[in-house]
Amino acid sequence: MTTAPLIKVEGLTKRFGGLVAVEDLSFDVESGEILALIGPNGAGKTTTFNLIAGVLVPSAGHIALDGQRIDGMPVHRIAGLGMMRTFQHNMPFAGMSLTANVLIGSHRKLRASVLDILAGRSFVRDEETQARQRAGELIDFVGLNAYRGADVTTLSFGEGRLLEIARALAGSPRVILLDEPAAGLTTAEISRLSAMIRRIAADGVSVLLVEHDMHFLLPLAHRVVVLNFGRKIAEGGSRDIVRDPAVKEAYLGEAAGALREGAPDA
Amino acid sequence: MDDFLELTVSAMASGCIYGLMALAYLIVLRPTSIINFAIGEWSATGAFVGVGMLSTLAWPRFEGPYILAIVAVVVVLGLLGWAVERLTVRPLIRRGAAVTSPILALLGVLVIFRESLTLIYGADPLPSPPPFGFKRIEIGAFAGASQQFFIIAVTLSLFALVWLFFERTVWGRAFEAVALNRRAAALMGINLGRVTALAFAGGAAVAGLAGLLMSPMTSAHYMMGLPLAIQGFTALVIGGVGRVEGALLGGLILAFVEQLGARYLPIPSGLTLAFPFALLILFLLLRPTGLIAPREAR
Amino acid sequence: MRALLWLASIIAASLLAFMLGGYATDVYRKMLVWIALALSYNFLFGVAGQIAFSQFAFAGVGAYGVVILAHKLGLPFGVALAGAIALCSLLAFIVAVPSTRLEGFYLALATLAFAQLFLVVVNEGGDLTGGTGGIAGYRLPDVFGYTLRGPWYTVVLVLLVALTLHILLRLERSSFGRACRAIKDNPAVAAAMGIDVRRTKVITFTLTSTLAGLAGAAYAYVDNVINPPVFGLDNIFLLLFMIIVGGMGRPAGAMLGAVLLYLAPFVLEPIVGHAYLVLFGVLVVLAILFQPKGLIGLIDRLVDRLGPEQRA
Ligand SMILES: Nc1ncnc2c1ncn2[C@@H]1O[C@H](COP(=O)(O)OP(=O)(O)OP(=O)(O)O)[C@@H](O)[C@H]1O
Ligand SMILES: [Mg+2]
Repeated sequence: MTTAPLIKVEGLTKRFGGLVAVEDLSFDVESGEILALIGPNGAGKTTTFNLIAGVLVPSAGHIALDGQRIDGMPVHRIAGLGMMRTFQHNMPFAGMSLTANVLIGSHRKLRASVLDILAGRSFVRDEETQARQRAGELIDFVGLNAYRGADVTTLSFGEGRLLEIARALAGSPRVILLDEPAAGLTTAEISRLSAMIRRIAADGVSVLLVEHDMHFLLPLAHRVVVLNFGRKIAEGGSRDIVRDPAVKEAYLGEAAGALREGAPDA
Repeated sequence: MDDFLELTVSAMASGCIYGLMALAYLIVLRPTSIINFAIGEWSATGAFVGVGMLSTLAWPRFEGPYILAIVAVVVVLGLLGWAVERLTVRPLIRRGAAVTSPILALLGVLVIFRESLTLIYGADPLPSPPPFGFKRIEIGAFAGASQQFFIIAVTLSLFALVWLFFERTVWGRAFEAVALNRRAAALMGINLGRVTALAFAGGAAVAGLAGLLMSPMTSAHYMMGLPLAIQGFTALVIGGVGRVEGALLGGLILAFVEQLGARYLPIPSGLTLAFPFALLILFLLLRPTGLIAPREAR
Repeated sequence: MRALLWLASIIAASLLAFMLGGYATDVYRKMLVWIALALSYNFLFGVAGQIAFSQFAFAGVGAYGVVILAHKLGLPFGVALAGAIALCSLLAFIVAVPSTRLEGFYLALATLAFAQLFLVVVNEGGDLTGGTGGIAGYRLPDVFGYTLRGPWYTVVLVLLVALTLHILLRLERSSFGRACRAIKDNPAVAAAMGIDVRRTKVITFTLTSTLAGLAGAAYAYVDNVINPPVFGLDNIFLLLFMIIVGGMGRPAGAMLGAVLLYLAPFVLEPIVGHAYLVLFGVLVVLAILFQPKGLIGLIDRLVDRLGPEQRA
């Protein structure tokens, strides 16, 4: 089953003035694969996500989704191709209910134009009913069913993380970018999150994961790419990564301990 | 040729007024992203405060205490701008309201100011004495009313001061830092609230001064704010919303286009009123960043 | 059930037209036009978050358009109306495309420039627009053989409000309305969810401006006279205030605000004179500071508080 990778990143570079946030970064992600992007604070992980999602335009290099170049494309078109994301900081639409927030995620799949809506075409209503049903399922899936009609500003930080995931899933993504999804979650929530991510990947969705919590990440990731100062310093399975001397050097002190402890049967 | 030189002085003077209005917008807009349409009414208020000050002083001899009128305008308008920021803008920013909220609240403030001016001063125009009388002055080949030269001199000095403030002082740097990135500036220990308050006070003072300088030509009038507000932001868009010198450049370009067009283009005089709007739309279409681009985030 | 409710409201609002007389009719008709304008402006500004100052200019394009085409150029009324509305859409599209490319407040600037430009053109339009004096002395031709005069024209205005409300409610409750709200809240995140932000903004602006044009065309036959000051900036501020005071983003709020602020001067002016405008300004500032959901938000809260007791 060695098809072409779903995502192909080649020679990706991003400069902010004098600062090189990402430098000559290359990696692939297969369908259904969980690829973790790790590295110390400021290593360029979020910048990489923003480049892939089209929020930032690369200074050099390219990104392909299913063989199609997407660098330089507008954000909404990249999302339209099935690239959905969560944000490192919770970004709910504050004026809307939880359900409406999740429904926004399904937008890329809706075909109703303004004219269809004004003409009251029947498929518009069917589409909406389907989207609502799917949104309901996803809210159940992430475990927020108690808050369906709630004002999203009343959600806790952890619940907000889960909303981000449900909203991204509503777009039936082919690739999902998760930026620190476990931050602020309780241990119980984290283990549920792991199971969730495994199920998402099992459905054939490529998962790109940025995370600092190694206990959570290392057992989950199929492959890990380690960044430091914007450069890739290592890539491989979780077990190989924790033994890599360059990685150990990048993660001095406390984090190195966590890295070791978090590794599966290390 | 004489005709053209005379026009140059008059266009320079109008351009300076527009430039001051653009500067007033800019001072508020840069650090806060708030476009404050009330600035036009603040210039009308400045005109009334100045004229009020003069008429209680040595009317009809104005040379001596004119500086007092200027000081009064700067102080009163500065305080008003500060108070408006405190009462309407700050609570909204603190609550984390969207940037449209203060913009809308300031539209309410606009109406409050305009209608209060008619209540206090009446609807009739109040004549405003020029500080150097109605003398004509000739400097080399350039000739014009004394007030026009006065406007040019005051505006150029003020722009020099503001430019120095932004380039050379710690406070000016704080403004620029906030403009580039509010969060980062806050992390650097810059007091955002104080910068915002100062921006409103400064913007109001500059607008008030523009109103006072303008008033000998139009009289102080409650309807004088709106045109100034529009000419001001047109100048702002032409020059670019990023830099102090852009405001002046934009004002001068606008004034020259207006006056040269009115003088030499064979169209009915009423249509020349359309120049600023046409120019504004043209710039929004073709060069939305204005002539002088803002500094990039580093 | 819902259809019945619509029908009942339309009939009730129309019956009122036959009961009122003289000055009250005039007030009622203009109020209906204000409501129609407030509804479309509410969608543009309250739901989609676009601050534009051109709503009355587009109403003006609709009004002048239909009057000039029908009565100055002598086109059949249906063609004139369609032409005026098409012109509104086209102009709105032309204004929206460049200004939605830029940061939010540029739309305010571009639309303000457009509104002022419209006034200059109308003032200087010579015979065609009637200059500062405007155009008067025309009459609504028979439409499909019907002579719509007196209270029957008021019924046309009621239908205008109903049509506007119907279109906007349908949009607001659809995925399109949701996209508009998302963009208002956070355009960057909306784009990340696959929403074409610019396209949505341009459509919203064009559509609501066209509805304004329709209201303007209807207004042209209220007094059978149109002149420039009606379409100036003072009225756009009033429209904005109606929505802020009534409740941004809520059609019911917009209608409530329109009715209250349109009628208030009739009560207040004899008592406080022009000072009522200061009062409006204060009201707006207070609403934004302390009651951002407007009067309709207050009513919601009241109903919430009363609700459980009634049920118990
Ligand atoms: N828009 C920007 N302008 C300038 N510099 C930026 C910008 N975005 C990120 N940077 C810089 O690029 C570098 C990489 O930042 P990035 O947010 O990608 O790191 P990260 O790996 O996600 O870190 P963290 O673990 O803290 O989230 C940092 O030095 C950051 O300051
Ligand atoms: Mg990050």
